[in-house]
Amino acid sequence: MELGKSTVQELLVEEGKAAGETIQYIVIRLGEEQYGIDIRSIDNIVRMQSITRIPKMPAFLKGVINMRGEVIPVISMRLKMDLEDDVITKATRIIVLKLEQEGNVGILVDEVKEVVSLSVNEIEKITYNAKEEKSSLINAVGKHNGELISLFDLSVISLEGN
Amino acid sequence: MDVNQYLEIFLDETKEHLQNLNTQILELESDPEGEDTVNEIFRAAHSLKGMAGTMGYKRMQNLTHDMENVFSEVRNGNIKVQPKLIDVLFQCLDALEEYTDNIQNNADEGTNDNEALIKQLNDILNGENGGTPEPAGDASAAAAASEPVGGDKWNDIALDESQISVIKEAQNQGKKVYGLNVVVQENCILKAARAFLVFKAVEEMAEIIVSMPSAQDVEDEKFDRDFTLMLLSDAELDKIIEAAESVSEIEKATGALIMLENNPSYKKAEEEKTEAEAAVEEKSVPAESAAASSEPQAEAAVAPAQAAPAKQDTKKAASKPVVNRTVRVDIEKLDSLMNLVSELIIAKNSLVSVSSQEQTNTNSAFNEQIEYLEQVTTNLHESVMKVRMVPIESVVNKFPRMIRDLSKKLDKKLELYMSGEETELDRTVVDEIGDPLMHLLRNSADHGIESAEVRAQRGKPSVGSIFLDAYQDGNNVVIEVRDDGNGIDTEAVKEKAIERGSITPEQAANMTDKEIVNLLFLPSFSTAKKVTDVSGRGVGLDVVKSKIESLSGEVEVKTKLGEGSTWTIRLPLTLAIIQALMVVVGDEKYAISLGSIQTLEDIVPSDVKLVQNKEVIHLRGQVIPLIRLNEVLDIESKRAADENLVVVIVKKGDKMAGLVIDELIGQQEIVIKSLGKYIKQCKFISGATILGDGEIALILDANALI
Repeated sequence: MELGKSTVQELLVEEGKAAGETIQYIVIRLGEEQYGIDIRSIDNIVRMQSITRIPKMPAFLKGVINMRGEVIPVISMRLKMDLEDDVITKATRIIVLKLEQEGNVGILVDEVKEVVSLSVNEIEKITYNAKEEKSSLINAVGKHNGELISLFDLSVISLEGN
Repeated sequence: MDVNQYLEIFLDETKEHLQNLNTQILELESDPEGEDTVNEIFRAAHSLKGMAGTMGYKRMQNLTHDMENVFSEVRNGNIKVQPKLIDVLFQCLDALEEYTDNIQNNADEGTNDNEALIKQLNDILNGENGGTPEPAGDASAAAAASEPVGGDKWNDIALDESQISVIKEAQNQGKKVYGLNVVVQENCILKAARAFLVFKAVEEMAEIIVSMPSAQDVEDEKFDRDFTLMLLSDAELDKIIEAAESVSEIEKATGALIMLENNPSYKKAEEEKTEAEAAVEEKSVPAESAAASSEPQAEAAVAPAQAAPAKQDTKKAASKPVVNRTVRVDIEKLDSLMNLVSELIIAKNSLVSVSSQEQTNTNSAFNEQIEYLEQVTTNLHESVMKVRMVPIESVVNKFPRMIRDLSKKLDKKLELYMSGEETELDRTVVDEIGDPLMHLLRNSADHGIESAEVRAQRGKPSVGSIFLDAYQDGNNVVIEVRDDGNGIDTEAVKEKAIERGSITPEQAANMTDKEIVNLLFLPSFSTAKKVTDVSGRGVGLDVVKSKIESLSGEVEVKTKLGEGSTWTIRLPLTLAIIQALMVVVGDEKYAISLGSIQTLEDIVPSDVKLVQNKEVIHLRGQVIPLIRLNEVLDIESKRAADENLVVVIVKKGDKMAGLVIDELIGQQEIVIKSLGKYIKQCKFISGATILGDGEIALILDANALI
């Protein structure tokens, strides 16, 4: 599964390189760091709303929200990355991702900053050894205006459903 | 003709007709004289034939045609219903079912001609009463079809009266009747063209009376590799054969002088004339004819197509089919209708909650309209639900036939009694429930009912009874499979479980009978001493259980050794919208299906007693365990310890429990939404619902809590 996803991404990048294309990323903030999410995997971005807790679930699984009549699970990226629990502010957003297997899943982020276009030359794949679990959410780094943006590997989210 | 658009209707109707035939033939078996039954069978077979023909499924048409012929003779009283006949008919139905399955899966009826069956049918028709059983295996039929054909097929050409009289006339004039069989080369590309040339060459010397397949079919290339002609000629046979073989790409032509007496349809016509009543009993069949017809023949099926007596048609017209006032609707259309109704109910609920919040200056007209809207949506929901409901009849109807077959296979006398076939369930549930029920029935027949000797020893009636009862119980439908057989031997189950390592001997010692019986639902558990092809491979009960649970139902078993077992399946009536009680625990809202709620109780804390360290209450003579929802759900209760408890009494089968909640909100119609695939395991949450204010409340699965 993980392999499958990242291969797909690689292929897309390869494809992009050949065509000299750019990929658009939504830049979000979690704590002090910035992360990028491939815009093609995003269904929607909604404001914070009341989340219904589901008992007996791992802490990172915050609960479910109602998006236009659809029940969507919400995951805290902070807890997932072993950061402190979310502090809900006006800037807090839920980014609804479309995952191939699991359907729509929302992730909680501190702030949505901007949309950037990264040409494939600006994206550098990174490989980790298995021990560095915390970093394994990231599978590439993008360079934009002298800043570094870590790019999420969404397959990790879909993998750890439970 | 593009028939694809009719394929679904064809499949649906074919299945209906087959089911009908199954039922009616069963009835015929028990009452061989039933005139209505025979008529009904005839009608169904006739419709099947017509439909298969229209859709261009030749093999299916041929088989049904021959079945129809047999029924027609039965109806005319020319053939008596015998066990052998019934068996053949059932085999035919199976073959037809196979065609149907093939069509459904590959949009093609397959290549099995089922000649063996067709031959048996024809034997019955020809008055042999199916005396010479032929191995009806598909293999032999298939092998026969692939062999290069030939032989004296002309004896099988069916003749109608006019043709017979033409032949007789010609014979009187001194002409000879020849049979000619022409086989084209295997790699011949333009078969029809070659055949046409053969026809032309032959016609120069002889008159072609009959061709099999018909000239039209030959022209349309609807033949395999050979065709057979019946000729009238003054010329020598050798010359005709020579002429036929002179056409290129013809492998060989064979021929012989025909003795009309050897032709079954001629014989039959003669018999009908001379000894109309005794026709059926006729036993002395000329040896040659018997030999000829017992040879595998690729196209024997086509023959009777021409022989269908005209008198049948008049009778067919007389029996009008009953007109159904129904419309077939794609289930997907109903699903989308259902979804729209769900949305409407959610919207209505939000209107209700808005109107109740603005109590300060309530507009009475507005409230009235809201109430009216509520009424309409409720009715609309009920109507849509009803549309989706189908009687379980469509599923259980096939069981009598199955039990009959099992009875023969297992050599046990079995009788199936069914009640409540009219009980209705959501279409999606009905579609799924067939397999589990079949498993249970097979189980009862194989493991449950004892062998005849054991039954005699125990003083039970020699015929084992299996019951299938369905009825509605509140918001549930209950289906019970009961037998008066051996029951479950808990000791044997225990031993087996220990042997398999499912439980330890110590565990076994402490288990109640009920717990032991539940071991049967573990994957790969079978107590059958012998593995039969009916059951005993260890797949079944766990599949039954998981299937039923996937339909939000449950299965239970009660058993008494030596007296029988009862399997109870409980299914929810609907899967999409339910009436629920909304409750508050801590600061969270939950919904509990009204179907499982018995009563609501207000309990003084001092009434709560401890039994084995568990909280229970006494209620009208019953001891009911308490479940504190706030503990189960990990929430702080808002109630002080000395306050009265609000208890929701829920029931599952004969088990009860009291759920302690903080507050009641009230009854509400809720739309069940799935939590999605991401959240996989949540034992006691069966789903979520969207409240009027857009918030989500979880639905508690009371069954999982008990």
